Amino acid sequence: MSFLAFFLIVASLLSFVVAQLILKRAMEFSAGAGLRNLRFISRVAGGIALMTFSFFLTLGLLQRFDLSYLYPFQGLSVIIITLMAAFMLKEKLTLQLTIGTLLISAGIVLVSLS
Amino acid sequence: MQDRPSGFGNPWLQLALSVVCVLVSELLLKRGATDIADPSSAWSWTGVNGLASPLVWWAILLIVASFISWLYVLRYIPLIIAFPLSRVVDILVPIGCWIFLNEFISTLRWCGIALVVAGLALVAKPVARIEERL
Repeated sequence: MSFLAFFLIVASLLSFVVAQLILKRAMEFSAGAGLRNLRFISRVAGGIALMTFSFFLTLGLLQRFDLSYLYPFQGLSVIIITLMAAFMLKEKLTLQLTIGTLLISAGIVLVSLS
Repeated sequence: MQDRPSGFGNPWLQLALSVVCVLVSELLLKRGATDIADPSSAWSWTGVNGLASPLVWWAILLIVASFISWLYVLRYIPLIIAFPLSRVVDILVPIGCWIFLNEFISTLRWCGIALVVAGLALVAKPVARIEERL
Protein backbone atom coordinates (compact mmCIF):
# COMPACT_ATOMS: atom_id res chain seq x y z
CA MET A 1 0.00 0.00 0.00
CA SER A 2 1.38 3.36 -0.98
CA PHE A 3 1.67 6.30 1.35
CA LEU A 4 -1.03 8.10 -0.65
CA ALA A 5 -3.50 5.23 -0.23
CA PHE A 6 -2.81 5.12 3.50
CA PHE A 7 -3.29 8.87 3.71
CA LEU A 8 -6.60 8.66 1.82
CA ILE A 9 -7.89 5.85 4.07
CA VAL A 10 -7.02 7.85 7.20
CA ALA A 11 -8.55 11.03 5.69
CA SER A 12 -11.77 9.19 4.85
CA LEU A 13 -11.95 7.66 8.32
CA LEU A 14 -11.21 10.90 10.16
CA SER A 15 -13.65 12.99 8.10
CA PHE A 16 -16.38 10.43 8.89
CA VAL A 17 -15.54 10.48 12.62
CA VAL A 18 -15.38 14.29 12.81
CA ALA A 19 -18.70 14.49 10.93
CA GLN A 20 -20.34 12.30 13.60
CA LEU A 21 -18.94 14.48 16.40
CA ILE A 22 -20.15 17.67 14.68
CA LEU A 23 -23.61 16.18 14.06
CA LYS A 24 -23.84 15.11 17.70
CA ARG A 25 -22.94 18.64 18.82
CA ALA A 26 -25.48 20.07 16.38
CA MET A 27 -28.28 17.86 17.71
CA GLU A 28 -27.40 18.64 21.34
CA PHE A 29 -27.47 22.32 20.45
CA SER A 30 -30.86 21.94 18.72
CA ALA A 31 -32.35 20.44 21.89
CA GLY A 32 -32.06 23.86 23.53
CA ALA A 33 -32.18 26.29 20.63
CA GLY A 34 -34.52 24.59 18.13
CA LEU A 35 -33.92 23.71 14.51
CA ARG A 36 -34.32 27.12 12.89
CA ASN A 37 -31.10 28.84 13.74
CA LEU A 38 -27.91 29.47 11.85
CA ARG A 39 -25.54 27.68 14.24
CA PHE A 40 -27.53 24.45 14.07
CA ILE A 41 -27.94 24.59 10.28
CA SER A 42 -24.26 25.39 9.68
CA ARG A 43 -23.16 22.48 11.90
CA VAL A 44 -25.48 19.98 10.22
CA ALA A 45 -24.34 21.28 6.81
CA GLY A 46 -20.71 20.91 7.91
CA GLY A 47 -21.38 17.35 9.11
CA ILE A 48 -23.10 16.42 5.85
CA ALA A 49 -20.28 18.01 3.80
CA LEU A 50 -17.66 15.97 5.72
CA MET A 51 -19.68 12.76 5.32
CA THR A 52 -19.98 13.44 1.58
CA PHE A 53 -16.22 14.05 1.39
CA SER A 54 -15.60 10.77 3.22
CA PHE A 55 -18.08 8.96 0.92
CA PHE A 56 -16.31 10.07 -2.27
CA LEU A 57 -12.87 9.29 -0.84
CA THR A 58 -14.14 5.78 -0.06
CA LEU A 59 -15.65 5.48 -3.54
CA GLY A 60 -12.27 6.39 -5.04
CA LEU A 61 -10.48 3.89 -2.77
CA LEU A 62 -12.97 1.16 -3.69
CA GLN A 63 -11.90 1.51 -7.30
CA ARG A 64 -8.34 0.59 -6.33
CA PHE A 65 -8.76 -1.83 -3.41
CA ASP A 66 -11.06 -4.70 -2.45
CA LEU A 67 -13.93 -3.97 -0.11
CA SER A 68 -12.64 -6.72 2.19
CA TYR A 69 -9.36 -4.82 2.44
CA LEU A 70 -10.96 -1.45 3.17
CA TYR A 71 -13.78 -2.61 5.43
CA PRO A 72 -11.66 -3.50 8.51
CA PHE A 73 -10.82 0.20 8.76
CA GLN A 74 -14.56 0.69 9.37
CA GLY A 75 -14.01 -1.34 12.55
CA LEU A 76 -11.47 1.27 13.63
CA SER A 77 -14.14 3.98 13.35
CA VAL A 78 -15.96 2.44 16.34
CA ILE A 79 -12.84 2.74 18.51
CA ILE A 80 -11.96 6.26 17.32
CA ILE A 81 -15.53 7.57 17.77
CA THR A 82 -15.72 6.06 21.26
CA LEU A 83 -12.41 7.70 22.26
CA MET A 84 -13.31 11.04 20.65
CA ALA A 85 -16.76 11.05 22.29
CA ALA A 86 -15.09 10.43 25.65
CA PHE A 87 -12.42 13.12 25.28
CA MET A 88 -14.13 15.79 23.18
CA LEU A 89 -17.80 15.40 24.08
CA LYS A 90 -16.98 14.36 27.68
CA GLU A 91 -19.22 11.31 27.47
CA LYS A 92 -18.68 8.68 30.14
CA LEU A 93 -16.41 5.81 29.07
CA THR A 94 -16.71 2.77 31.35
CA LEU A 95 -14.59 -0.39 31.30
CA GLN A 96 -17.61 -2.34 30.07
CA LEU A 97 -18.10 0.08 27.14
CA THR A 98 -14.39 -0.14 26.30
CA ILE A 99 -14.40 -3.95 26.17
CA GLY A 100 -17.69 -3.96 24.22
CA THR A 101 -16.28 -1.49 21.68
CA LEU A 102 -13.08 -3.54 21.26
CA LEU A 103 -15.11 -6.75 20.72
CA ILE A 104 -17.32 -5.05 18.11
CA SER A 105 -14.26 -3.71 16.26
CA ALA A 106 -12.50 -7.09 16.35
CA GLY A 107 -15.71 -8.75 15.12
CA ILE A 108 -16.07 -6.30 12.22
CA VAL A 109 -12.45 -6.97 11.20
CA LEU A 110 -13.04 -10.76 11.30
CA VAL A 111 -16.31 -10.48 9.34
CA SER A 112 -14.60 -8.48 6.60
CA LEU A 113 -11.39 -10.55 6.47
CA SER A 114 -13.12 -13.91 6.08
CA MET B 1 -31.04 11.18 28.35
CA GLN B 2 -33.84 13.03 30.10
CA ASP B 3 -37.28 13.94 28.79
CA ARG B 4 -37.16 11.20 26.24
CA PRO B 5 -40.28 10.94 24.06
CA SER B 6 -42.08 7.61 23.94
CA GLY B 7 -43.92 5.82 21.12
CA PHE B 8 -42.62 6.50 17.60
CA GLY B 9 -40.42 9.26 19.01
CA ASN B 10 -38.57 6.80 21.27
CA PRO B 11 -34.89 7.23 20.33
CA TRP B 12 -34.16 3.50 20.77
CA LEU B 13 -36.92 2.70 18.29
CA GLN B 14 -35.47 5.32 15.94
CA LEU B 15 -31.99 3.76 16.32
CA ALA B 16 -33.47 0.38 15.35
CA LEU B 17 -35.32 1.99 12.41
CA SER B 18 -32.13 3.69 11.27
CA VAL B 19 -30.27 0.35 11.35
CA VAL B 20 -33.08 -1.46 9.49
CA CYS B 21 -33.12 1.29 6.81
CA VAL B 22 -29.34 0.92 6.31
CA LEU B 23 -29.64 -2.89 6.17
CA VAL B 24 -32.44 -2.86 3.58
CA SER B 25 -30.71 -0.13 1.55
CA GLU B 26 -27.49 -2.19 1.35
CA LEU B 27 -29.40 -5.25 0.11
CA LEU B 28 -31.35 -3.12 -2.40
CA LEU B 29 -28.11 -1.48 -3.64
CA LYS B 30 -26.53 -4.88 -4.19
CA ARG B 31 -29.63 -6.19 -6.03
CA GLY B 32 -29.98 -2.97 -8.04
CA ALA B 33 -26.29 -2.86 -8.95
CA THR B 34 -26.32 -6.52 -10.01
CA ASP B 35 -29.49 -6.04 -12.08
CA ILE B 36 -27.99 -3.40 -14.32
CA ALA B 37 -24.29 -4.28 -14.08
CA ASP B 38 -22.58 -3.39 -17.36
CA PRO B 39 -18.82 -3.55 -16.84
CA SER B 40 -18.20 -2.67 -20.49
CA SER B 41 -19.76 0.78 -20.09
CA ALA B 42 -17.34 3.66 -19.63
CA TRP B 43 -19.57 5.09 -16.88
CA SER B 44 -19.77 1.89 -14.85
CA TRP B 45 -16.73 2.69 -12.68
CA THR B 46 -18.38 5.83 -11.30
CA GLY B 47 -21.44 3.88 -10.15
CA VAL B 48 -23.62 6.57 -11.77
CA ASN B 49 -25.19 4.03 -14.14
CA GLY B 50 -26.65 2.41 -11.01
CA LEU B 51 -29.18 5.24 -10.94
CA ALA B 52 -31.00 3.51 -13.82
CA SER B 53 -32.25 0.89 -11.36
CA PRO B 54 -35.45 1.70 -9.41
CA LEU B 55 -34.08 -0.42 -6.54
CA VAL B 56 -31.12 1.97 -6.23
CA TRP B 57 -33.55 4.91 -5.87
CA TRP B 58 -35.45 3.07 -3.12
CA ALA B 59 -32.09 2.48 -1.46
CA ILE B 60 -31.23 6.21 -1.66
CA LEU B 61 -34.60 7.05 -0.10
CA LEU B 62 -33.88 4.63 2.76
CA ILE B 63 -30.39 6.11 3.26
CA VAL B 64 -31.92 9.58 3.63
CA ALA B 65 -34.53 8.18 6.06
CA SER B 66 -31.82 6.44 8.10
CA PHE B 67 -29.83 9.68 8.27
CA ILE B 68 -32.84 11.62 9.60
CA SER B 69 -33.48 8.90 12.21
CA TRP B 70 -29.79 8.96 13.13
CA LEU B 71 -29.85 12.75 13.70
CA TYR B 72 -32.85 12.24 15.96
CA VAL B 73 -31.02 9.48 17.85
CA LEU B 74 -28.01 11.78 18.38
CA ARG B 75 -30.27 14.30 20.05
CA TYR B 76 -31.08 11.89 22.89
CA ILE B 77 -28.49 9.10 23.11
CA PRO B 78 -24.76 9.62 23.86
CA LEU B 79 -22.61 8.99 20.78
CA ILE B 80 -20.43 6.64 22.84
CA ILE B 81 -23.41 4.24 23.12
CA ALA B 82 -25.37 4.97 19.93
CA PHE B 83 -22.47 4.56 17.49
CA PRO B 84 -21.21 1.13 18.67
CA LEU B 85 -24.84 -0.09 18.76
CA SER B 86 -25.45 1.19 15.23
CA ARG B 87 -22.65 -1.12 14.02
CA VAL B 88 -25.01 -4.06 14.55
CA VAL B 89 -25.60 -3.39 10.85
CA ASP B 90 -22.14 -4.83 10.12
CA ILE B 91 -23.38 -8.27 11.12
CA LEU B 92 -26.98 -7.86 9.92
CA VAL B 93 -25.77 -7.16 6.37
CA PRO B 94 -23.85 -10.47 6.00
CA ILE B 95 -26.72 -12.34 7.68
CA GLY B 96 -29.16 -10.59 5.31
CA CYS B 97 -26.95 -11.56 2.36
CA TRP B 98 -26.97 -15.13 3.64
CA ILE B 99 -30.78 -15.25 3.97
CA PHE B 100 -31.94 -13.11 1.03
CA LEU B 101 -29.09 -13.15 -1.49
CA ASN B 102 -27.98 -16.76 -0.83
CA GLU B 103 -24.39 -15.69 -0.18
CA PHE B 104 -22.05 -17.97 1.77
CA ILE B 105 -20.84 -17.22 5.34
CA SER B 106 -17.55 -18.87 6.34
CA THR B 107 -16.78 -20.19 9.83
CA LEU B 108 -14.38 -17.30 10.44
CA ARG B 109 -17.13 -14.83 9.51
CA TRP B 110 -19.55 -16.52 11.93
CA CYS B 111 -16.84 -16.11 14.62
CA GLY B 112 -16.63 -12.38 13.78
CA ILE B 113 -20.42 -12.12 14.00
CA ALA B 114 -20.31 -13.80 17.44
CA LEU B 115 -17.67 -11.30 18.64
CA VAL B 116 -19.79 -8.34 17.49
CA VAL B 117 -22.86 -9.79 19.25
CA ALA B 118 -20.83 -10.18 22.49
CA GLY B 119 -19.56 -6.59 22.16
CA LEU B 120 -23.07 -5.26 21.48
CA ALA B 121 -24.37 -7.06 24.56
CA LEU B 122 -21.68 -5.38 26.69
CA VAL B 123 -22.44 -1.92 25.27
CA ALA B 124 -26.21 -2.39 25.61
CA LYS B 125 -26.13 -3.76 29.17
CA PRO B 126 -25.63 -0.46 31.04
CA VAL B 127 -28.34 1.05 28.82
CA ALA B 128 -30.80 -1.64 29.87
CA ARG B 129 -29.97 -0.86 33.51
CA ILE B 130 -30.57 2.88 32.99
CA GLU B 131 -33.91 2.11 31.30
CA GLU B 132 -35.00 -0.15 34.16
CA ARG B 133 -34.47 2.62 36.67
CA LEU B 134 -36.68 5.04 34.75
